[in-house]
Amino acid sequence: MSVAAEITSAPAPAQVSPHAVRGGLKAGQRRIGMLLLLPAAIAFGLVILYPFLQALALSLFEYTLETPAPRFYGLGNFAKIAATPDVWQAFVTTAIYVFFTTTGTLILGLGWALILNQPFRGRGLLRSMSLLPWVLPSTVSAFVWGWIFNSRYGVLNAFLLELGVIDMPQAWLSTSTGAMIAVIITKIWLSIPLFMAFFLAGLQNMDREQVDAARVDGANNWAILRDHVLPHLRPVLIVVVVLGVIGNLQQFDTIYALTGGGPVRATAVLSVEVYRRAFEQWDVGFASAIGVLWVATLLPPAFLYLRMLVKGA
Amino acid sequence: MFDLSSTVSKVVFGLLLGLIGLFLFFPLYWLAISSVKSNAELYSIVPTPFPLAPTLTHFVTALTTGKLPMYLFNSLVASGASAALNTLLALYAGYSFAKYRFAGRQPVMLFMLSAQMFPFGLLLISIYPLMSEIGLLDTRTGLILSYIVFALPVSTYMLYSYFSQVPDELIEAARADGASDLRIFHTIVIPISIPPIVTVFLYSFMWSWNDLLYSMTLIVSDEKRTIGPGLLLTYLNEVNSDWGGAMAASLLASAPIVAAFLFLQRYFIQGVTAGAVK
Repeated sequence: MSVAAEITSAPAPAQVSPHAVRGGLKAGQRRIGMLLLLPAAIAFGLVILYPFLQALALSLFEYTLETPAPRFYGLGNFAKIAATPDVWQAFVTTAIYVFFTTTGTLILGLGWALILNQPFRGRGLLRSMSLLPWVLPSTVSAFVWGWIFNSRYGVLNAFLLELGVIDMPQAWLSTSTGAMIAVIITKIWLSIPLFMAFFLAGLQNMDREQVDAARVDGANNWAILRDHVLPHLRPVLIVVVVLGVIGNLQQFDTIYALTGGGPVRATAVLSVEVYRRAFEQWDVGFASAIGVLWVATLLPPAFLYLRMLVKGA
Repeated sequence: MFDLSSTVSKVVFGLLLGLIGLFLFFPLYWLAISSVKSNAELYSIVPTPFPLAPTLTHFVTALTTGKLPMYLFNSLVASGASAALNTLLALYAGYSFAKYRFAGRQPVMLFMLSAQMFPFGLLLISIYPLMSEIGLLDTRTGLILSYIVFALPVSTYMLYSYFSQVPDELIEAARADGASDLRIFHTIVIPISIPPIVTVFLYSFMWSWNDLLYSMTLIVSDEKRTIGPGLLLTYLNEVNSDWGGAMAASLLASAPIVAAFLFLQRYFIQGVTAGAVK
């Protein structure tokens, strides 16, 4: 589920309260403010900041099972990456995965939100139920889709055979393309609910009168969608895409549980690659170096995200 | 929003509703019915759309012979404790950011939030030796502490957004009466903040409950293993795949989080999407 995880925080307009300003004049208040923050700051430093800096540093060291004491290696790990096509492949795999999961979820999440925004009987129940894929444990999502994609007894093969789309059962999870399709579909499925929730919230504060006026002027459904709904949703769209990309770039759990990164390396995105190098081959310095480049791919969306937050504040 | 009086628009609407609905709900339906099918029925070449002879065998087996109850208990302990810890930390930090002014407040907050771009997998590379050094590898405490990684930044921000909207007059009035800052927070602010607090608790609980990576790496001994890796090791391994058991166990593993979620979802969705659309 590592969903959309990151997708959750969104920029809110941060108002500086007048009380805060006045409080700032008093040293006592300032001290209390810092004390309240202290426990979280210590925890943050211990389990987030320190490990992050440590990983950055480790990327410059050779640190393997054979060299248990880290040895300074300069840019050696990065040179090793340049000479390892498998790692480049992980970047390509990640790009494909992130592109298809994000666009797929965007289209279906938006479509589903537009549908659930129309009044019809049973809509409330459908809205609640729609959130279920998002809250399921990642292993469970992987089980559900692993069973559907199963080559011998899977319902997908049976269905496609029945329709005549395929003439023999496909071994989805043991072919490169099939496995990639499976991990992408699983991630789209579990992220739709969250995207939908964001879009629904955006649709609910839309100006009805504007739409009604346009309709009186003769606009059809398509024109309303294009000229009014989509422009109105633009800010939400940006938030969702940015947070979606950040989340998909980091996805590990469902991929690992469904394919383990295989067959061979077909679905080995960066998260899986780093995990394998660090915890299966114990090449910690090398894994950290890949991780540093991985963080670099996260910088552009993270920068956009922070800029939105700062603007909001 | 859209005018669905024409036949064409009705058909398009119905088609989209049917197709996306099928994609979202069919897997859940298939999970549910596969859990009550007998093995003979599960492993037939042509799958049956309804269970012919529903049976609870897989549930009974999962609950009585396997280690599932133990894994569930371990997850409950780890997720509950880490959610409580995370909520507590975020509560004070969020309040501090919202109602106090001190040097570096804004940069510190932005920095904490930007930590979301630190991949969990990368952090784990250093968390592992750290836990090993302080003797917390393969312990519940170590796992509970590590789980803070997932939710602390977002939780702090969610509570910060909420506390920013608490009127200052309320706090000023209490202060004029001579109440101390902590007292004001504990007796006035917290009681009116139960919905966002519950949301944050549930949010971080969900993250830990659904985790696979951290538990799989930081916990070695089976008796401390949580549900994510527990399911994976029990039902899908090199030797055999027990799909009926996997489906039943999946439902059991999802039940607590789904129940909590359905019960509290209204708050939850508000909290999670708050601000995105303002």
